This record gives sequence, C-alpha cells and structure tokens, in this order.
Amino acid sequence: MNALPRPSTIFLAAITTLVAVLLYSPLFVPIVSSFFTVSHGNVDWSSPTLSTYVALAENHDILAALRTTLIVGVCTVVLSVVSGTLLALYYHGRRSGRSILQFIIFLPFLMPPIISGLALLIFFREIGLERSLLTVVIGHTVFVLAIVYRTVLMRLQSMSRTLVEASYDLGATGWQTFWRIILPNLSSAMVGGAILAFALSFDETMITILVTGTQSTLPVRLWAMMRLGFSPDINALVALILMFTVLLCVLAARFLIPRQMATERT
Amino acid sequence: MSVAATTQPAEKRLSLLVTVLAFALPVIFVLVPLAIFLVYSFFSVDQGTIVFAPTLGNYARFFTDPIFLPVFWNTIVLCVSVAVICILLAYPAAYFLTTLKGRWRYALLMLLLVPLLMSYVIKIYAIRSILGLNGFLNKALVALGILDQPSTLFVFNMNAILLTLSLLLIPFAILPIFLSLERIPQTLLRASDDLGASGLQTFLRITLPLSLPGVASAASFVFVLAIGDFLTPQMVGGISGFTFGRILYSQFGTAYNWPFGAALSVALAIVVICAILIGERFGRNRGTSI
Repeated sequence: MNALPRPSTIFLAAITTLVAVLLYSPLFVPIVSSFFTVSHGNVDWSSPTLSTYVALAENHDILAALRTTLIVGVCTVVLSVVSGTLLALYYHGRRSGRSILQFIIFLPFLMPPIISGLALLIFFREIGLERSLLTVVIGHTVFVLAIVYRTVLMRLQSMSRTLVEASYDLGATGWQTFWRIILPNLSSAMVGGAILAFALSFDETMITILVTGTQSTLPVRLWAMMRLGFSPDINALVALILMFTVLLCVLAARFLIPRQMATERT
Repeated sequence: MSVAATTQPAEKRLSLLVTVLAFALPVIFVLVPLAIFLVYSFFSVDQGTIVFAPTLGNYARFFTDPIFLPVFWNTIVLCVSVAVICILLAYPAAYFLTTLKGRWRYALLMLLLVPLLMSYVIKIYAIRSILGLNGFLNKALVALGILDQPSTLFVFNMNAILLTLSLLLIPFAILPIFLSLERIPQTLLRASDDLGASGLQTFLRITLPLSLPGVASAASFVFVLAIGDFLTPQMVGGISGFTFGRILYSQFGTAYNWPFGAALSVALAIVVICAILIGERFGRNRGTSI
C-alpha cells in the first residue's frame, strides 16, 4: 500500500476530500447562517452578526426543550450505565443463557427505531403507563443499553484474571475485590460508555416521538418546527451543539481508545 | 474467616438480585413489548376499535392489496441503491485512510465519523435546503452549465430521499471497510510486490478480496438503517416519495389501524433480520489472520 503510484493517490485523496465536503456541507450551512444573514440562498458576507445567538437566549421554548433533553440524557446515562455494567459483570464468563439474553439486549439497537418505539408505545398502553418523560427515559435506556453493555464487557474480557486472583490470594473478600480491583479497572470503559449513551440519547428522535407525552426533547421540538421552517436562532443552536458534540467526541476517544493504540502506529 | 462468613449471605442475596435483574430487565422491557407487538399483528380493527380475535387478515391484505407490495419492493430497491452509493464513496476514502501513517490515520477517521453525532433532524433540514430549488446544488449545476435553470429534480421525491439518505449514512460504510482494510497483513502486500505484481494487480487480487467482508458489513449496516428510517422520507419525500416506513407510521396516525401497522412492522423486521444475517454471513473475515 506504501508503493502506490502518484495518480492513484491523488484520485483517492480527491474522493476522500469529496466525501468530507459532502459530510460537512449539511453542518456548514447552519453554522454560516448563524453568523451571516442568508436570503434566497445568497449569503451576505459583509455583515457578521451574533443576533441569532441573542435570539436563541430568549427562545424559551427551545431552552425548555434543551433542558428536557439534558434531564432525559442524564437519567438515561445513570440507568444504562448501572444496568449495563451489572449485566456485563453477570454475563462475563458465563456460558448458559448468555447468547440468547445478549441477543435480546441487542435487539432494540438492531431493530429500526420505529419498530422498537411502536412496540414500547403499545407496551406502555397495555400496562397502563401514561406517556411522560419516564417512558422516554425507559425507551432511551432500552435503546442505548447494548452500547454500554458491550463497552464494559469488552473491557472485562481484556482484563487480566490474575488481578482478581491476586486480590483473593491476598485475603480480600468478594466486595473488596469488586470495589478496589474490578470497578477501578472498568471506570474508563464506563465513562466512555456513558458519553456514547448520552450522545445517542441526546439525538434520539424516532422512539422519543412515539413514546413522549406533552414534554418534548430538543430533536422532537426541532422535528415539529421543521414543517414550518426554522427561525434563524436555530442555526445558532446548531453551531453550539456541534461544538459540544466535537468536545464529547474528543472525550469519548480519550476514554475508549487505549493509550498504546494511539501511539503504537506512529 | 469470620469476616467472610458474615459477608457471604449478603453477597448471596446480592447475586440473587443481580441474577433476577439480569434476566428480568431484557425480558420485560425488550422481549415482552416486541412479543405484544407481534401478537397485535394478528388482531383486527372494526370501526375504530381493536378486535382481539386472532386473524391472518392483516398479512393477507399486505400480500393482496395492490398498494403495499410495490411500495415495499420500491423501498428495498431504494435502500439497496443507498447502500451502493455509500460504498462507492466510502471505499476509496477508507482505502486512502489506510495509506496514511500513525495519528493522521485516526484523526482523519475521526473527522469523517464526527458528523454522525450531529443532530439527525438538523442534517436532514440542511440537506433539504441544499437540494432545494434555491439550494446550493442547483446553483452549482447552473453555474457549471449542466442545467439551464434550477430544477425540481431533487425536491420532494424519491431522488431527494436517495441523496439525503446516502449523505447521512456514508460514515456507517466507512468504518467497517476501514477496519477490514486495516486488518490485511502488510506482509501479503509486500510479498505480492516482491513477486512482481503491479499496484493494480495487488489491489485486485489481494486487497479487494480480503476487504469484501468489510464491504458486506457496510452494505448491511447502511441498508438496515436506510430501510428503518422514517424521518428522512417523511421530511424530504413529499407526496411522490412514499416509502414503507411512512406507510407503516401512517397506520398509527391518520389511518389508525394498529394491528395492520404491527403486521407491516413484522414484514419490515423480517427484511432487516435477513439483511443483518446476510451481512453477518459474508462479513466474517476469513484467512486474514496470518
């Protein structure tokens, strides 16, 4: 692969650039519009403004939706990290029943969200649970559980058994081994899983549309607004969310990619 | 020993609790809802109320009604096309990444994956404005002289859905292809080079065949995500871009026929499971671990 002739390298680089441009163009449009006035597809480059950001700060509807999204996200993260870690600890090294239950955990992630969402909608109706933020949190937790579970399980599998054995040899009880050896070793995987879970919950739209009550999260609010078109302050929101997302990404990468891997290939 | 003796019953109780939780959580919140949903597909609706008597009527309707099968088929064709477009763009990009060294490789990979985390709804909206009559695409095509005047070729129809979905799902194709390319042992490529093969021959005989499992995984990812999507066709499809997901959703809204919607979901689920199994079957890497 190192001995590629020049023209083919240029061709590949060109396609890669094209792909990057395609991927970023939908992000570029709202960010430009957040600083400049756009009318009929023409950008007025002469007068940069922060007025959209000011308007955003006064848009109580959107801010309320943002707050709801954050509440749902935090609840989802707590629930999914606790239960995902418990499940990973339980299934780690256990053969019987593991594959079938693992399959069940992965189902909501593999199935189209419209199916998971509708199934939950009917389920909540059958058991008489009113649609509310609680049902949204349950929906999100079910959806992201597979990711947290898998992240923690993979860390458990790469953890050396000798650590646990040494702890027992030195006279530690099961509890002590868990708190002092296993949990600290899992912590970075749990943080990484939590960040992924939060990111997924933050953007979850389809399941939320189906199972939410009167309060809507940000994506659902945006979805409802999209029929009429967005007001300019939404562009400011997009720019802010993008910055926040990039920050989350960098954090997730730091916790999930082992340090050697980042350096060994240099 | 005395410490162990006092903690053991507590640990036993805890492990029992964990066992119950470990089985109850997935079963109650995943299996039971899906099972109820499946059962619903055998009910029917009479004058706005659901009749809880088992029937195969919904499935018979799906196969005999002239509306549903063609839409179902068209949606499958659409999503296969999306997968093909994504792979054609993602393969060269993934290949280029593997030619880079060290940190650059992962930095660029990250760069191509970050858009995934950006709000899905906002991306759809932005792409719609790019494809629109006053959008960037039309402006560029007119400026290049390809079109005389802005066209509505990409507004509120199947083309719009095709392009939007492709744009949204490219990163899902890049990752598996990149991983399979990265796993190809460098020694094979060097051996091929030593034996006098040209760069193209090495690519066609070594790299391409060994990366096909990644392509299969990518195709299955993109297809599954595309066919399960309701938001994109709803927002950019207009009246003519009617996909299976939209018909399914309408059964729970305007058409108000939950049992029939459940039956349509079962059909969708079967296609999705088949696609995942095919991806899994051909997505396994064979013979690359040397």
